[in-house]
Amino acid sequence: MGKKITIDPMTRIEGHLKIEVEIEDGKVKDAWSSGTMARGFEALLIGKDPRDASYVTSRFCGVCYSVHQICSARALDAAFGANVPWGGNLIRNLIMGAEYIYDHLIHFYQLSALDYIDIMAVANYTGKDRDLLAVKDKIVGLVKANDTFPLTPRYKPDEFSVRDPDMVISAVSHYIQAFKMHAKARNMGAIWGGRTPHYQNIVVGGVTSYPDINQVARFRTMLDEQKKFVEEVYIPDVLAFGTGPLWPLAKMGVGGGHYNYLAYGDFPKDQKGQNLVFPAGVIIGLDPANIKVDFLNPDDITESVKYSWYRENNPVHPYKGEQVFDLDKKDAYSFVKAPRYKNNAMEVGPMARMIIAKNPTLLDLVSKGAKPGAVARHAARAIETKLIVDACYTWLDELLTEMTKPGFKIHDTEHWDPPESGMGSGFHEAPRGALGHWVKVKNKKIDNYQCVVPSTWNASPRCENGVRGQYEESLIGVPVPDPDNPINVVRVIRSFDPCLACAVHIIDPHTNEIKKFLIE
Amino acid sequence: MSKTNASSALNPKGGDDVSPQKIVILGVGNLLLSDEGVGVHVANELMKMELPSGVSVVEGGTDGFRLIDIITEADRLIVVDAVKGGASPGTIYRFNIDEVKSCPSGFKTSVHQIGILEVINLSGLIGRTPHTIVIGIEPKSLEMGMELSPEIKAKIPRIIELIKEELKHLT
Repeated sequence: MGKKITIDPMTRIEGHLKIEVEIEDGKVKDAWSSGTMARGFEALLIGKDPRDASYVTSRFCGVCYSVHQICSARALDAAFGANVPWGGNLIRNLIMGAEYIYDHLIHFYQLSALDYIDIMAVANYTGKDRDLLAVKDKIVGLVKANDTFPLTPRYKPDEFSVRDPDMVISAVSHYIQAFKMHAKARNMGAIWGGRTPHYQNIVVGGVTSYPDINQVARFRTMLDEQKKFVEEVYIPDVLAFGTGPLWPLAKMGVGGGHYNYLAYGDFPKDQKGQNLVFPAGVIIGLDPANIKVDFLNPDDITESVKYSWYRENNPVHPYKGEQVFDLDKKDAYSFVKAPRYKNNAMEVGPMARMIIAKNPTLLDLVSKGAKPGAVARHAARAIETKLIVDACYTWLDELLTEMTKPGFKIHDTEHWDPPESGMGSGFHEAPRGALGHWVKVKNKKIDNYQCVVPSTWNASPRCENGVRGQYEESLIGVPVPDPDNPINVVRVIRSFDPCLACAVHIIDPHTNEIKKFLIE
Repeated sequence: MSKTNASSALNPKGGDDVSPQKIVILGVGNLLLSDEGVGVHVANELMKMELPSGVSVVEGGTDGFRLIDIITEADRLIVVDAVKGGASPGTIYRFNIDEVKSCPSGFKTSVHQIGILEVINLSGLIGRTPHTIVIGIEPKSLEMGMELSPEIKAKIPRIIELIKEELKHLT
């Protein structure tokens, strides 16, 4: 039995996640991923008017609200038999496109970059660039004032950490710039969504408000700024790190896992939705030299609760899923269920999408020796950000064309009223990965509602067959030379962009000192 | 997103060295976890009211990082949120964010996703941190549900009164 270490909570992720690993001979021998907070908001929806679902589900999560909103609207579109007009789909695409820019920038700079750089190296910067000197002063000042959150606490930098002062200080200045860029991306979504957080305009049948030319122009101006940042800062940073100091990690393929990938596909390029920016598909057991993508049939998805704190049940399709907790269940260790595709644990997210799309830029990196793993995941994320930025320009042009057509529509008003009964599934490639919502309508009310979120796939525990989830599998063999500093473990897990957030937002100071501030 | 009552840049008190302060009331919380959403309920009520010029109300939901531009653009910030301080449900707290930073274990150990106070703390890194007051309400229930507990709901008029008093000092 090796030494067991526990990382709880995983920090700089969204939500609550516990990772346990067993270390033997300086490497991870076994791993357990545990979602330590209960989900189950779906229960709130039972008995409600189905049209409420896209609003209620947008409150599931403070981070990825729009992804639930769109996914829910799509499940309702299917259940109501609504045909979203192309104008409505274009606006939906633009909103979700802005979401990608936001999410991927925040993941790379705010959540991940600190795993790879020794931030304290900024103190050794000897260059003369005024902006960078200001960054140096700021960080050194914070260190002196002992106020370095969120840059610390951190794991100790290791042999893979970037220590070159010029490279580190430029990354830190981009970290600060990225804050401004993702705040702007959020406002791009609000141009159509009416507000942010929690957009108002995505409903069953399409969207609620007609665009005007000024909105298109505003979005385009802001998109220009994002494009510049993505092309001149984000992608060069990912490449400079990934093919520079992190190349050894990339070649080792740390964090590969099962090499099974799943994407529902998303971002329709036309009204029929047959052409997608991100194609759908499944890969079981990747062979990079001969990538074989299978057709995805969502009916082959099941969820196991064998090791989850839910009432014992056979693996079932999400339409039949339930949320009855059993906290005393023997062997259970997570609130996350274990989705499987034909009994396989799958990876979802940017790397899955780019491999399924056979993206030439990613495959070029792979052919040069970067194995699909933690570092390649960052590359895939950057690559698809650029694809989305470019697609947004096309959608803006098409929207302008649509707007000039007589009878321009954004909503299928014929199908606004709920059906007596119906079933529908909705899918969305959220920035973090494949998201699915399933709804059953009976007597014009919601009879059942289930979500399988991206991190359910990636963070799942074992299933009936004892197959590890993707996080767990991806940790096997990861080098941990110092058990007190499992930095490679957190690099691997964070590369997936975990989101276990159920959005509890309460201020909980872990101290009763707050009592002295009570006023009545 | 927000209701802004700043109708003009004129300073009613005259003088040219003072420009009107931008005051933001930010209600946060999760509407699906009963009293956790109290800040959102308060913000929604405030949006229906006439407020002094320069005051805007933002319903922040459970957002974290994305509120940062709202925070850095404010001169004064009033955060309304559920606060678990251990007193009886419905207790109202008022504190300056600086007072909390000096608490022994502080907020920095929070295990939640990037929380609102962490984001406020971060604002100093990219711009400036506004002068921030937190109006907190001790929740009764954090169970799943879209309604406030009756005790907490009954406190909303008083919370709004307190916020209006804050505004009197600020505007």
